[in-house]
Amino acid sequence: MHPMPLECRDLSTFLPAYVDGEFAGTETAEIEDHLTGCAECRREVSVQEGLKAAVRRAAPALAPIELREAVREKLRDAEGPPGRWDAFLRNPFGVGLAAAAVGAAVWFLAGGLTHPILPGGRSPLLEDGISLALHGRQLPLDYTGSDASAVQDWLGKRLPFAARVPRLPNGSLQGVRLSQLRSHPAALVAYDLPRAGGRVSLVIVDDPEEASLPGTARQVANRQVWLSRSRGYNVVSWKTNEIVYQLISDLDEQDVLQLVQAAELR
Amino acid sequence: MLDFKHTDRTRREFEALTLEHLDPLYSAALRLTKNERDAEDLVQDAFLRAFRFFDKFERGTNMKAWLFKILTNTFINRYRRRVKERTVVEGAARETTSDKFIVKETNESAVNPEQYFFDKLLSDDVLRSIDGLPIDFRLVVILADLQEFSYKEIAEIIDVPVGTVMSRLYRGRKLLQKNLLGYAVAQGVVAGSRAMDLGVEVEVEGEILEFKRRAR
Repeated sequence: MHPMPLECRDLSTFLPAYVDGEFAGTETAEIEDHLTGCAECRREVSVQEGLKAAVRRAAPALAPIELREAVREKLRDAEGPPGRWDAFLRNPFGVGLAAAAVGAAVWFLAGGLTHPILPGGRSPLLEDGISLALHGRQLPLDYTGSDASAVQDWLGKRLPFAARVPRLPNGSLQGVRLSQLRSHPAALVAYDLPRAGGRVSLVIVDDPEEASLPGTARQVANRQVWLSRSRGYNVVSWKTNEIVYQLISDLDEQDVLQLVQAAELR
Repeated sequence: MLDFKHTDRTRREFEALTLEHLDPLYSAALRLTKNERDAEDLVQDAFLRAFRFFDKFERGTNMKAWLFKILTNTFINRYRRRVKERTVVEGAARETTSDKFIVKETNESAVNPEQYFFDKLLSDDVLRSIDGLPIDFRLVVILADLQEFSYKEIAEIIDVPVGTVMSRLYRGRKLLQKNLLGYAVAQGVVAGSRAMDLGVEVEVEGEILEFKRRAR
Protein backbone atom coordinates (compact mmCIF):
# COMPACT_ATOMS: atom_id res chain seq x y z
CA MET A 1 0.00 0.00 0.00
CA HIS A 2 1.09 3.54 -0.75
CA PRO A 3 1.30 6.01 2.07
CA MET A 4 -1.27 8.10 0.17
CA PRO A 5 -1.92 11.14 2.33
CA LEU A 6 1.72 11.97 2.67
CA GLU A 7 2.37 11.63 -1.02
CA CYS A 8 -0.58 13.82 -1.87
CA ARG A 9 0.59 16.49 0.47
CA ASP A 10 4.05 16.33 -1.08
CA LEU A 11 2.59 16.54 -4.51
CA SER A 12 0.14 19.39 -4.10
CA THR A 13 2.76 22.15 -4.28
CA PHE A 14 4.26 20.57 -7.39
CA LEU A 15 1.02 20.10 -9.28
CA PRO A 16 1.02 23.60 -10.80
CA ALA A 17 4.49 22.94 -12.19
CA TYR A 18 3.28 19.61 -13.54
CA VAL A 19 0.24 21.24 -15.16
CA ASP A 20 2.53 23.91 -16.66
CA GLY A 21 4.78 21.27 -18.17
CA GLU A 22 7.79 22.38 -16.16
CA PHE A 23 9.04 18.93 -15.24
CA ALA A 24 11.43 16.67 -17.07
CA GLY A 25 10.57 13.14 -18.16
CA THR A 26 11.51 11.27 -14.98
CA GLU A 27 9.71 13.65 -12.66
CA THR A 28 6.67 13.65 -14.90
CA ALA A 29 6.65 9.86 -14.87
CA GLU A 30 6.83 9.81 -11.08
CA ILE A 31 3.89 12.18 -10.78
CA GLU A 32 1.86 10.33 -13.35
CA ASP A 33 2.55 7.13 -11.52
CA HIS A 34 0.96 8.62 -8.45
CA LEU A 35 -1.94 10.12 -10.43
CA THR A 36 -2.92 6.72 -11.81
CA GLY A 37 -3.70 5.55 -8.33
CA CYS A 38 -5.04 8.75 -6.81
CA ALA A 39 -8.41 10.15 -7.82
CA GLU A 40 -7.97 13.09 -5.46
CA CYS A 41 -4.84 14.37 -7.18
CA ARG A 42 -6.26 13.63 -10.62
CA ARG A 43 -9.15 15.88 -9.81
CA GLU A 44 -6.78 18.57 -8.58
CA VAL A 45 -4.88 18.38 -11.89
CA SER A 46 -8.15 18.60 -13.77
CA VAL A 47 -9.18 21.68 -11.77
CA GLN A 48 -5.86 23.38 -12.40
CA GLU A 49 -5.97 22.60 -16.10
CA GLY A 50 -9.51 23.90 -16.34
CA LEU A 51 -8.54 27.06 -14.55
CA LYS A 52 -5.54 27.64 -16.77
CA ALA A 53 -7.65 27.10 -19.89
CA ALA A 54 -10.36 29.45 -18.56
CA VAL A 55 -7.80 32.21 -18.05
CA ARG A 56 -6.39 31.63 -21.52
CA ARG A 57 -9.87 31.78 -23.04
CA ALA A 58 -11.04 34.84 -21.17
CA ALA A 59 -8.12 37.18 -21.08
CA PRO A 60 -6.50 37.60 -24.50
CA ALA A 61 -7.34 40.93 -26.05
CA LEU A 62 -6.51 42.43 -29.39
CA ALA A 63 -4.84 45.79 -29.20
CA PRO A 64 -7.03 48.50 -30.71
CA ILE A 65 -5.93 49.50 -34.17
CA GLU A 66 -5.37 53.08 -32.98
CA LEU A 67 -2.90 51.84 -30.39
CA ARG A 68 -0.69 50.37 -33.07
CA GLU A 69 -0.60 53.69 -34.88
CA ALA A 70 -0.15 55.62 -31.64
CA VAL A 71 2.87 53.49 -30.74
CA ARG A 72 4.39 54.08 -34.17
CA GLU A 73 3.72 57.77 -33.88
CA LYS A 74 5.43 57.91 -30.48
CA LEU A 75 8.43 56.04 -31.79
CA ARG A 76 8.72 58.43 -34.71
CA ASP A 77 8.54 61.35 -32.30
CA ALA A 78 11.17 59.70 -30.12
CA GLU A 79 13.53 59.76 -33.07
CA GLY A 80 13.44 63.52 -32.83
CA PRO A 81 12.57 65.99 -35.57
CA PRO A 82 16.05 66.31 -37.12
CA GLY A 83 16.49 62.60 -37.64
CA ARG A 84 13.07 62.40 -39.03
CA TRP A 85 13.54 65.03 -41.67
CA ASP A 86 17.03 63.82 -42.52
CA ALA A 87 15.51 60.47 -43.14
CA PHE A 88 12.83 62.07 -45.20
CA LEU A 89 15.29 63.79 -47.48
CA ARG A 90 17.27 60.62 -47.97
CA ASN A 91 14.20 58.57 -48.67
CA PRO A 92 11.04 60.43 -49.52
CA PHE A 93 8.90 57.35 -49.07
CA GLY A 94 10.34 56.38 -45.74
CA VAL A 95 8.15 58.68 -43.74
CA GLY A 96 5.04 57.46 -42.09
CA LEU A 97 1.44 58.46 -42.08
CA ALA A 98 1.96 61.98 -40.81
CA ALA A 99 3.60 62.82 -44.08
CA ALA A 100 0.86 61.10 -45.99
CA ALA A 101 -1.44 63.86 -44.84
CA VAL A 102 0.79 66.38 -46.56
CA GLY A 103 0.52 64.08 -49.51
CA ALA A 104 1.20 65.09 -53.02
CA ALA A 105 2.81 68.47 -52.32
CA VAL A 106 5.63 67.03 -50.20
CA TRP A 107 6.05 64.28 -52.66
CA PHE A 108 6.52 66.77 -55.43
CA LEU A 109 9.11 68.77 -53.47
CA ALA A 110 11.05 65.62 -52.77
CA GLY A 111 11.34 65.04 -56.48
CA GLY A 112 9.43 61.80 -56.35
CA LEU A 113 6.95 62.82 -58.96
CA THR A 114 7.42 61.18 -62.30
CA HIS A 115 4.11 62.14 -63.80
CA PRO A 116 2.11 65.28 -63.23
CA ILE A 117 -1.04 64.96 -61.23
CA LEU A 118 -3.91 64.85 -63.62
CA PRO A 119 -5.90 68.04 -63.35
CA GLY A 120 -9.60 67.67 -62.74
CA GLY A 121 -11.42 64.52 -61.66
CA ARG A 122 -9.14 64.13 -58.67
CA SER A 123 -10.46 61.94 -55.95
CA PRO A 124 -9.27 62.36 -52.36
CA LEU A 125 -9.91 58.68 -51.76
CA LEU A 126 -7.76 57.75 -54.72
CA GLU A 127 -4.97 60.13 -53.83
CA ASP A 128 -4.88 59.04 -50.21
CA GLY A 129 -5.02 55.42 -51.25
CA ILE A 130 -1.96 55.89 -53.43
CA SER A 131 -0.14 57.76 -50.68
CA LEU A 132 -0.93 55.02 -48.23
CA ALA A 133 0.33 52.38 -50.63
CA LEU A 134 3.54 54.25 -51.44
CA HIS A 135 4.44 54.99 -47.86
CA GLY A 136 3.15 51.78 -46.44
CA ARG A 137 5.26 49.65 -48.72
CA GLN A 138 8.40 51.19 -47.27
CA LEU A 139 7.49 50.13 -43.73
CA PRO A 140 7.50 46.72 -42.11
CA LEU A 141 4.46 44.54 -42.57
CA ASP A 142 2.43 43.69 -39.49
CA TYR A 143 1.85 40.19 -40.72
CA THR A 144 3.86 38.36 -43.31
CA GLY A 145 2.41 35.42 -45.14
CA SER A 146 1.78 34.19 -48.64
CA ASP A 147 -1.47 32.39 -47.95
CA ALA A 148 -4.44 34.60 -48.79
CA SER A 149 -6.86 32.93 -46.39
CA ALA A 150 -4.39 33.10 -43.49
CA VAL A 151 -3.85 36.80 -44.18
CA GLN A 152 -7.61 37.27 -44.40
CA ASP A 153 -8.13 35.50 -41.08
CA TRP A 154 -5.48 37.63 -39.44
CA LEU A 155 -7.15 40.77 -40.77
CA GLY A 156 -10.56 39.52 -39.73
CA LYS A 157 -9.50 39.65 -36.10
CA ARG A 158 -8.19 43.17 -36.35
CA LEU A 159 -10.41 45.15 -38.66
CA PRO A 160 -13.94 46.18 -37.77
CA PHE A 161 -15.10 44.88 -41.15
CA ALA A 162 -14.59 41.72 -43.17
CA ALA A 163 -11.87 42.37 -45.73
CA ARG A 164 -11.32 39.87 -48.49
CA VAL A 165 -7.82 39.14 -49.60
CA PRO A 166 -7.73 38.04 -53.23
CA ARG A 167 -5.22 35.64 -54.71
CA LEU A 168 -3.36 37.09 -57.65
CA PRO A 169 -2.27 34.27 -59.97
CA ASN A 170 0.91 36.04 -61.06
CA GLY A 171 1.51 37.82 -57.80
CA SER A 172 3.06 36.49 -54.67
CA LEU A 173 1.38 37.73 -51.53
CA GLN A 174 3.85 39.26 -49.07
CA GLY A 175 1.62 40.16 -46.18
CA VAL A 176 -0.35 43.00 -44.77
CA ARG A 177 0.05 46.22 -42.86
CA LEU A 178 -2.65 47.85 -40.77
CA SER A 179 -3.13 51.52 -41.38
CA GLN A 180 -5.63 54.29 -41.64
CA LEU A 181 -7.13 55.99 -44.64
CA ARG A 182 -8.78 59.34 -43.98
CA SER A 183 -8.93 58.32 -40.30
CA HIS A 184 -10.73 55.08 -41.10
CA PRO A 185 -9.10 51.74 -40.34
CA ALA A 186 -7.57 50.31 -43.49
CA ALA A 187 -5.37 47.48 -44.63
CA LEU A 188 -2.54 47.51 -47.10
CA VAL A 189 -2.07 44.14 -48.74
CA ALA A 190 1.30 43.77 -50.42
CA TYR A 191 2.01 41.63 -53.45
CA ASP A 192 5.14 41.22 -55.51
CA LEU A 193 5.03 40.33 -59.15
CA PRO A 194 8.10 38.16 -59.68
CA ARG A 195 7.56 37.71 -63.41
CA ALA A 196 6.60 41.24 -64.34
CA GLY A 197 9.16 42.51 -61.83
CA GLY A 198 6.83 44.92 -60.10
CA ARG A 199 4.65 45.41 -57.12
CA VAL A 200 0.97 45.58 -56.52
CA SER A 201 -0.63 47.08 -53.44
CA LEU A 202 -4.21 46.61 -52.47
CA VAL A 203 -5.72 49.17 -50.11
CA ILE A 204 -8.88 48.01 -48.36
CA VAL A 205 -11.08 50.40 -46.44
CA ASP A 206 -14.64 50.23 -45.21
CA ASP A 207 -16.33 53.01 -47.08
CA PRO A 208 -17.97 55.23 -44.49
CA GLU A 209 -18.14 58.24 -46.79
CA GLU A 210 -19.96 56.31 -49.48
CA ALA A 211 -17.61 57.82 -51.98
CA SER A 212 -18.22 57.19 -55.63
CA LEU A 213 -15.24 55.51 -57.16
CA PRO A 214 -13.06 57.57 -59.48
CA GLY A 215 -12.19 56.81 -63.08
CA THR A 216 -13.84 55.17 -66.02
CA ALA A 217 -16.14 52.23 -65.50
CA ARG A 218 -15.04 48.90 -66.91
CA GLN A 219 -16.57 45.47 -66.85
CA VAL A 220 -14.08 42.86 -65.71
CA ALA A 221 -15.12 39.28 -65.03
CA ASN A 222 -18.75 40.26 -64.51
CA ARG A 223 -17.73 42.91 -62.08
CA GLN A 224 -17.92 46.65 -62.35
CA VAL A 225 -14.53 48.22 -61.69
CA TRP A 226 -13.19 51.71 -62.14
CA LEU A 227 -9.89 52.39 -63.80
CA SER A 228 -8.01 55.59 -63.12
CA ARG A 229 -4.52 56.89 -63.36
CA SER A 230 -2.67 59.20 -61.02
CA ARG A 231 0.96 59.99 -60.27
CA GLY A 232 2.06 57.39 -62.74
CA TYR A 233 0.08 54.57 -61.18
CA ASN A 234 -2.85 52.72 -62.58
CA VAL A 235 -5.53 52.13 -60.01
CA VAL A 236 -8.40 49.70 -60.30
CA SER A 237 -11.12 50.24 -57.72
CA TRP A 238 -14.16 48.22 -56.86
CA LYS A 239 -16.61 47.75 -54.03
CA THR A 240 -17.79 44.58 -52.38
CA ASN A 241 -20.30 44.87 -49.55
CA GLU A 242 -19.59 48.59 -49.28
CA ILE A 243 -15.92 47.88 -48.74
CA VAL A 244 -13.66 49.74 -51.12
CA TYR A 245 -10.73 47.93 -52.73
CA GLN A 246 -8.07 49.91 -54.56
CA LEU A 247 -5.49 47.98 -56.47
CA ILE A 248 -2.52 50.18 -57.16
CA SER A 249 0.26 49.19 -59.51
CA ASP A 250 2.75 50.50 -61.99
CA LEU A 251 1.68 47.98 -64.58
CA ASP A 252 0.14 49.42 -67.71
CA GLU A 253 -3.59 49.58 -68.17
CA GLN A 254 -3.97 46.35 -70.09
CA ASP A 255 -1.87 44.31 -67.69
CA VAL A 256 -3.52 45.60 -64.58
CA LEU A 257 -6.97 44.84 -65.94
CA GLN A 258 -5.81 41.35 -66.85
CA LEU A 259 -4.51 40.93 -63.34
CA VAL A 260 -7.86 41.87 -61.87
CA GLN A 261 -9.63 39.60 -64.32
CA ALA A 262 -7.46 36.65 -63.29
CA ALA A 263 -7.68 37.42 -59.58
CA GLU A 264 -10.02 35.35 -57.51
CA LEU A 265 -12.22 38.15 -56.27
CA ARG A 266 -14.24 36.27 -53.75
CA MET B 1 27.52 47.07 -34.14
CA LEU B 2 24.35 48.99 -34.04
CA ASP B 3 24.32 52.71 -34.39
CA PHE B 4 22.77 53.83 -31.13
CA LYS B 5 21.42 57.02 -32.53
CA HIS B 6 17.78 56.46 -33.12
CA THR B 7 17.69 56.71 -36.82
CA ASP B 8 14.89 55.82 -39.12
CA ARG B 9 16.62 52.51 -39.75
CA THR B 10 16.88 51.70 -36.05
CA ARG B 11 13.23 52.49 -35.59
CA ARG B 12 12.20 50.26 -38.42
CA GLU B 13 14.26 47.41 -37.07
CA PHE B 14 12.76 48.00 -33.65
CA GLU B 15 9.23 48.01 -35.08
CA ALA B 16 9.89 44.84 -37.02
CA LEU B 17 11.10 43.07 -33.87
CA THR B 18 8.56 44.36 -31.38
CA LEU B 19 5.20 45.16 -32.96
CA GLU B 20 4.27 41.52 -33.33
CA HIS B 21 4.09 41.37 -29.53
CA LEU B 22 1.62 44.23 -29.29
CA ASP B 23 -1.46 42.08 -28.74
CA PRO B 24 0.00 39.97 -25.91
CA LEU B 25 1.44 43.08 -24.25
CA TYR B 26 -1.89 44.83 -24.46
CA SER B 27 -3.71 41.78 -23.05
CA ALA B 28 -1.37 41.73 -20.08
CA ALA B 29 -1.54 45.51 -19.64
CA LEU B 30 -5.32 45.33 -19.59
CA ARG B 31 -5.27 42.84 -16.72
CA LEU B 32 -2.65 44.83 -14.86
CA THR B 33 -4.31 48.24 -15.14
CA LYS B 34 -7.87 46.90 -15.35
CA ASN B 35 -8.99 49.50 -17.82
CA GLU B 36 -8.43 50.15 -21.50
CA ARG B 37 -7.21 53.70 -21.29
CA ASP B 38 -4.48 52.97 -18.75
CA ALA B 39 -3.59 49.79 -20.64
CA GLU B 40 -3.00 51.76 -23.83
CA ASP B 41 -0.90 54.32 -21.97
CA LEU B 42 1.10 51.59 -20.30
CA VAL B 43 1.79 49.83 -23.59
CA GLN B 44 2.86 53.07 -25.26
CA ASP B 45 5.18 53.92 -22.38
CA ALA B 46 6.64 50.43 -22.39
CA PHE B 47 7.34 50.62 -26.13
CA LEU B 48 9.00 54.00 -25.72
CA ARG B 49 11.17 52.76 -22.89
CA ALA B 50 12.07 49.66 -24.85
CA PHE B 51 13.03 51.85 -27.81
CA ARG B 52 15.19 54.01 -25.56
CA PHE B 53 16.96 50.94 -24.20
CA PHE B 54 17.02 49.11 -27.51
CA ASP B 55 20.83 49.19 -27.50
CA LYS B 56 20.73 47.14 -24.29
CA PHE B 57 18.78 44.38 -25.97
CA GLU B 58 20.96 41.47 -27.04
CA ARG B 59 20.07 40.43 -30.54
CA GLY B 60 18.88 36.88 -30.76
CA THR B 61 17.64 36.67 -27.16
CA ASN B 62 14.03 36.50 -26.07
CA MET B 63 12.41 39.73 -27.29
CA LYS B 64 8.98 38.91 -25.91
CA ALA B 65 10.33 38.30 -22.40
CA TRP B 66 12.41 41.47 -22.61
CA LEU B 67 9.36 43.53 -23.56
CA PHE B 68 7.34 41.99 -20.76
CA LYS B 69 10.05 42.82 -18.27
CA ILE B 70 9.90 46.45 -19.37
CA LEU B 71 6.11 46.47 -19.31
CA THR B 72 6.08 44.97 -15.82
CA ASN B 73 8.66 47.38 -14.46
CA THR B 74 6.91 50.34 -16.01
CA PHE B 75 3.67 49.24 -14.43
CA ILE B 76 5.18 48.68 -11.00
CA ASN B 77 7.11 51.94 -10.99
CA ARG B 78 4.51 54.25 -12.36
CA TYR B 79 1.05 52.86 -12.75
CA ARG B 80 0.68 50.84 -9.66
CA ARG B 81 0.47 53.98 -7.61
CA ARG B 82 -1.87 55.64 -10.04
CA VAL B 83 -4.28 52.89 -10.92
CA LYS B 84 -6.82 52.47 -8.21
CA GLU B 85 -7.31 48.88 -7.31
CA ARG B 86 -10.95 48.22 -7.87
CA THR B 87 -12.96 46.01 -5.57
CA VAL B 88 -13.34 42.49 -6.86
CA VAL B 89 -16.96 42.60 -7.83
CA GLU B 90 -19.64 45.17 -7.55
CA GLY B 91 -22.94 43.72 -6.52
CA ALA B 92 -24.78 45.16 -9.50
CA ALA B 93 -22.36 43.72 -12.01
CA ARG B 94 -22.66 40.37 -10.38
CA GLU B 95 -26.43 40.45 -10.60
CA THR B 96 -26.53 41.20 -14.29
CA THR B 97 -24.42 38.20 -15.17
CA SER B 98 -26.22 35.72 -12.99
CA ASP B 99 -29.02 35.05 -15.48
CA LYS B 100 -26.52 34.05 -18.13
CA PHE B 101 -25.50 31.05 -16.11
CA ILE B 102 -27.07 27.73 -16.75
CA VAL B 103 -28.43 26.76 -13.41
CA LYS B 104 -29.75 23.34 -14.22
CA GLU B 105 -27.13 20.66 -14.15
CA THR B 106 -27.12 18.28 -17.07
CA ASN B 107 -25.84 14.74 -17.31
CA GLU B 108 -22.67 16.14 -18.74
CA SER B 109 -21.76 17.51 -15.36
CA ALA B 110 -21.85 14.11 -13.78
CA VAL B 111 -19.18 12.71 -16.10
CA ASN B 112 -16.51 15.34 -15.50
CA PRO B 113 -17.68 17.94 -13.03
CA GLU B 114 -14.50 20.01 -13.18
CA GLN B 115 -14.55 20.26 -16.95
CA TYR B 116 -18.21 21.15 -16.88
CA PHE B 117 -17.72 23.79 -14.28
CA PHE B 118 -14.85 25.53 -16.08
CA ASP B 119 -16.60 25.36 -19.44
CA LYS B 120 -19.57 27.14 -17.95
CA LEU B 121 -17.53 29.95 -16.48
CA LEU B 122 -18.26 33.32 -18.00
CA SER B 123 -15.27 35.17 -19.33
CA ASP B 124 -16.38 38.24 -17.41
CA ASP B 125 -16.27 36.33 -14.15
CA VAL B 126 -12.86 34.93 -14.96
CA LEU B 127 -11.58 38.40 -15.75
CA ARG B 128 -13.02 39.84 -12.56
CA SER B 129 -11.44 37.03 -10.59
CA ILE B 130 -8.04 37.71 -12.13
CA ASP B 131 -8.48 41.42 -11.51
CA GLY B 132 -9.30 40.67 -7.90
CA LEU B 133 -5.97 38.98 -7.21
CA PRO B 134 -3.32 40.93 -5.32
CA ILE B 135 -0.77 42.25 -7.80
CA ASP B 136 2.05 39.78 -7.01
CA PHE B 137 -0.21 36.82 -7.69
CA ARG B 138 -1.99 38.47 -10.60
CA LEU B 139 1.31 39.09 -12.32
CA VAL B 140 2.47 35.46 -12.23
CA VAL B 141 -0.95 34.16 -13.25
CA ILE B 142 -0.96 36.52 -16.24
CA LEU B 143 2.55 35.54 -17.23
CA ALA B 144 2.10 31.80 -16.76
CA ASP B 145 -1.49 31.16 -17.76
CA LEU B 146 -2.22 33.91 -20.24
CA GLN B 147 1.19 34.32 -21.86
CA GLU B 148 2.54 30.84 -21.15
CA PHE B 149 6.01 31.92 -20.18
CA SER B 150 8.13 29.27 -18.49
CA TYR B 151 8.88 29.61 -14.78
CA LYS B 152 12.45 30.53 -15.63
CA GLU B 153 11.31 33.31 -17.98
CA ILE B 154 8.87 34.59 -15.37
CA ALA B 155 11.62 34.58 -12.75
CA GLU B 156 13.72 36.76 -15.04
CA ILE B 157 10.86 39.06 -15.95
CA ILE B 158 9.84 39.85 -12.39
CA ASP B 159 13.30 39.36 -10.87
CA VAL B 160 12.55 36.75 -8.25
CA PRO B 161 13.81 33.16 -7.77
CA VAL B 162 11.99 30.33 -9.55
CA GLY B 163 10.81 29.00 -6.19
CA THR B 164 9.02 32.28 -5.52
CA VAL B 165 7.36 32.08 -8.94
CA MET B 166 6.12 28.59 -8.07
CA SER B 167 4.71 29.50 -4.70
CA ARG B 168 3.06 32.68 -5.99
CA LEU B 169 1.53 30.76 -8.84
CA TYR B 170 0.28 28.07 -6.49
CA ARG B 171 -1.32 30.58 -4.17
CA GLY B 172 -2.55 32.75 -7.04
CA ARG B 173 -4.37 29.86 -8.64
CA LYS B 174 -5.87 28.79 -5.33
CA LEU B 175 -7.23 32.31 -4.81
CA LEU B 176 -8.54 32.45 -8.35
CA GLN B 177 -10.25 29.12 -7.90
CA LYS B 178 -11.79 30.28 -4.67
CA ASN B 179 -13.09 33.51 -6.19
CA LEU B 180 -14.61 31.72 -9.14
CA LEU B 181 -16.28 29.09 -7.06
CA GLY B 182 -17.55 31.84 -4.82
CA TYR B 183 -19.36 33.45 -7.74
CA ALA B 184 -20.68 30.16 -8.98
CA VAL B 185 -22.02 29.18 -5.58
CA ALA B 186 -23.57 32.58 -4.98
CA GLN B 187 -25.31 32.39 -8.34
CA GLY B 188 -26.54 28.86 -7.85
CA VAL B 189 -24.50 27.30 -10.62
CA VAL B 190 -22.74 25.00 -8.23
CA ALA B 191 -24.16 23.76 -4.99
CA GLY B 192 -22.15 24.45 -1.89
CA SER B 193 -21.47 20.76 -1.48
CA ARG B 194 -20.22 20.57 -5.07
CA ALA B 195 -17.81 23.40 -4.35
CA MET B 196 -16.37 21.26 -1.61
CA ASP B 197 -16.18 18.38 -4.08
CA LEU B 198 -14.15 20.58 -6.37
CA GLY B 199 -11.50 20.71 -3.74
CA VAL B 200 -11.85 24.20 -2.44
CA GLU B 201 -12.94 25.18 0.98
CA VAL B 202 -15.21 28.05 0.19
CA GLU B 203 -16.85 29.89 2.99
CA VAL B 204 -20.14 29.29 1.33
CA GLU B 205 -22.47 30.81 3.87
CA GLY B 206 -20.37 33.93 4.16
CA GLU B 207 -20.13 34.36 0.41
CA ILE B 208 -23.86 34.09 -0.09
CA LEU B 209 -24.64 36.47 2.73
CA GLU B 210 -22.12 38.92 1.34
CA PHE B 211 -23.65 38.61 -2.12
CA LYS B 212 -27.16 39.19 -0.84
CA ARG B 213 -26.02 42.15 1.19
CA ARG B 214 -24.43 43.77 -1.85
CA ALA B 215 -27.31 43.01 -4.14
CA ARG B 216 -29.69 44.86 -1.89
